[in-house]
Amino acid sequence: MLKSTREIKREAKHLFRLCFVNGSLDEDRVRSVLRGILGSKRRGSLPLAGQFQRLVSLDRISHTAKVESAVPLSQDLQANVQASLVQAYGPETNTSFADDPTLIGGMRIRVGSDLYDGSIKAGLAALENSF
Amino acid sequence: MANLLLEIEEQIAGAKTTARKENVGVIREIGDGVARIDGLSDAMLNEMIDLGHGVTGLALNLDETEVGVVILGDYTQLEEGDEVRATGRLLQVPVGKGLLGRVVNTLGEPLDGKGPVQSDVAYPVEKLAPGIIRRSPVKQPLQTGIMPIDAMIPIGRGQRELIIGDRSTGKTTICIDTIINQARLNKAAEVAGDKDFRPIYCIYVAIGQKQSSIARLITVLEEAGAMPYTIIVDSSASDSATNQYLAPFAGAAMGEWFMDNGMDALIVFDDLSKHAVAYRQVSLVLKRPSGREAYPGDVFYLHSRLLERAARVGEKYGNGSLTAMPIIETQAGDVSAYIPTNVISITDGQIYLETDLFYQGVRPAISVGLSVSRVGSEAQLKAMKQVAGQLKGDLAQFRELAAFAQFGSELDAKTQAQIDRGKRIVEVFKQAQYSPIPVEVQVALLWAVQNGDFDAVPVERTKEFQSKLTEFLSLRKAELLQKIANEKTISEPLASELKAAIDAFKQTWK
Repeated sequence: MLKSTREIKREAKHLFRLCFVNGSLDEDRVRSVLRGILGSKRRGSLPLAGQFQRLVSLDRISHTAKVESAVPLSQDLQANVQASLVQAYGPETNTSFADDPTLIGGMRIRVGSDLYDGSIKAGLAALENSF
Repeated sequence: MANLLLEIEEQIAGAKTTARKENVGVIREIGDGVARIDGLSDAMLNEMIDLGHGVTGLALNLDETEVGVVILGDYTQLEEGDEVRATGRLLQVPVGKGLLGRVVNTLGEPLDGKGPVQSDVAYPVEKLAPGIIRRSPVKQPLQTGIMPIDAMIPIGRGQRELIIGDRSTGKTTICIDTIINQARLNKAAEVAGDKDFRPIYCIYVAIGQKQSSIARLITVLEEAGAMPYTIIVDSSASDSATNQYLAPFAGAAMGEWFMDNGMDALIVFDDLSKHAVAYRQVSLVLKRPSGREAYPGDVFYLHSRLLERAARVGEKYGNGSLTAMPIIETQAGDVSAYIPTNVISITDGQIYLETDLFYQGVRPAISVGLSVSRVGSEAQLKAMKQVAGQLKGDLAQFRELAAFAQFGSELDAKTQAQIDRGKRIVEVFKQAQYSPIPVEVQVALLWAVQNGDFDAVPVERTKEFQSKLTEFLSLRKAELLQKIANEKTISEPLASELKAAIDAFKQTWK
């Protein structure tokens, strides 16, 4: 029987919750659940897998920190930033570093839906808005 | 110049401050005026969301993994993957006297080409209604200038009186007449220098109407000199459903400013049927569960929270008031449909307009039997109560007897007299549009009807007699009318003076 979108969402959420061990997402369980979904070959397994993937990706995004700076950061500074992020968002935080010259100066850090923008570009934008 | 430099320095210093935390998200899906956003984990309900490109949205759905945002404005530049941010602010509109005489959109932006709106205060569009402690009973009258309403279905300041009827039965006209009458009274009090008079400012909210109808209405108000006391909030049929859904709330915020500052205001919602349809549209594109007639489950709450904002507050809290006149359009006279029954139960009474009466030439086509004002009689002038007390009963009896008399049976003299009186009352209550009648004239005319001065006049000449009598009283007995207006009651000497005046007129009338 074809399942409704709401049922698929509910089931995906249930399976996603089963993948947690001690409050954090267990990669082995995620793989095993996905194998189970796709291996079942029942109707609606693909949308279910898609919804499951979305939940996993949202969880990954919430634990991923993207650090952008106008110029490449030194190793010390990178380690310092990474340590601060782990302290604030937990040990699961994956940090990636990137250069973006359009920032002009300063740093822009995004973790999940939190954004810390200390770049000159953002400062100028704020100044423009205030006028 | 020194101030300007200081200001620039302060703003630059502000811009230099260290990074602050912001809540951001990414557009996952966009269409039909709604964006679905991933992220925005700290978004609040009804929070304004900055979607970039100068476009703002309103967070209406907070789901576990996404936020449903309705977009205010043009969203054609927005794309999937664009970064959006929460602003931490609720939707606000400018309020104050600077809006009087202006035509604005849902966001309070001018549409009349008269330059920016002069206002330094803003009110949130969604605001909690005054609580029971702040409220006070409805006691002061709001004169509509429409005789059947002021006599039989009186409206008080702070009341919510529904205007309901089929299409083209004169619902908007009643509200426009009321607005014109407020402007007339305000102007007269300004000229007379009456400091005790409390002016009523009007807000007209057009929801889902044709632009041509709104333009015509503005012309009528301008010609009647009512625009300086009126704000028009325009959310026409070409506006997005979101703007139409928010327009009455924006209008209510503008009206609340007058109430909070100890003034009186009147707000017309034209009309809430279209408002419910706009809200249904918004809810369906947000994929909210639908209920009866596909309206969402909270459509009652939508209208109840809007109309609860109309109130009269106590003297301790400024003694201001906001009177609401919502309009509902029925289909084929069906008042038992979903939205009409909801709004009937929310309001403090309704004025029901009938198509049959309208085409019989009874205009305003008010059905006296179905119309009621639940709190207005407390606010009615004593003089009006004295002359109009029996009218509703007389008219109801007339309708019953007239239906009976259709069978052509012989009638006794008393029944015939009641029918004749009823016919004259119906004639007297007919009134041309955009020509409100001052309350003192209404009292004098109804006093004449009650005392049988119209009985000798042939029914087909009743209107002629009425207009000549009005002219006579206004031109030759102005001081008598002024006395009625001042004393607000018909005392013995005033009654005899009125009788003498009417007798004098009858001698000259042919």
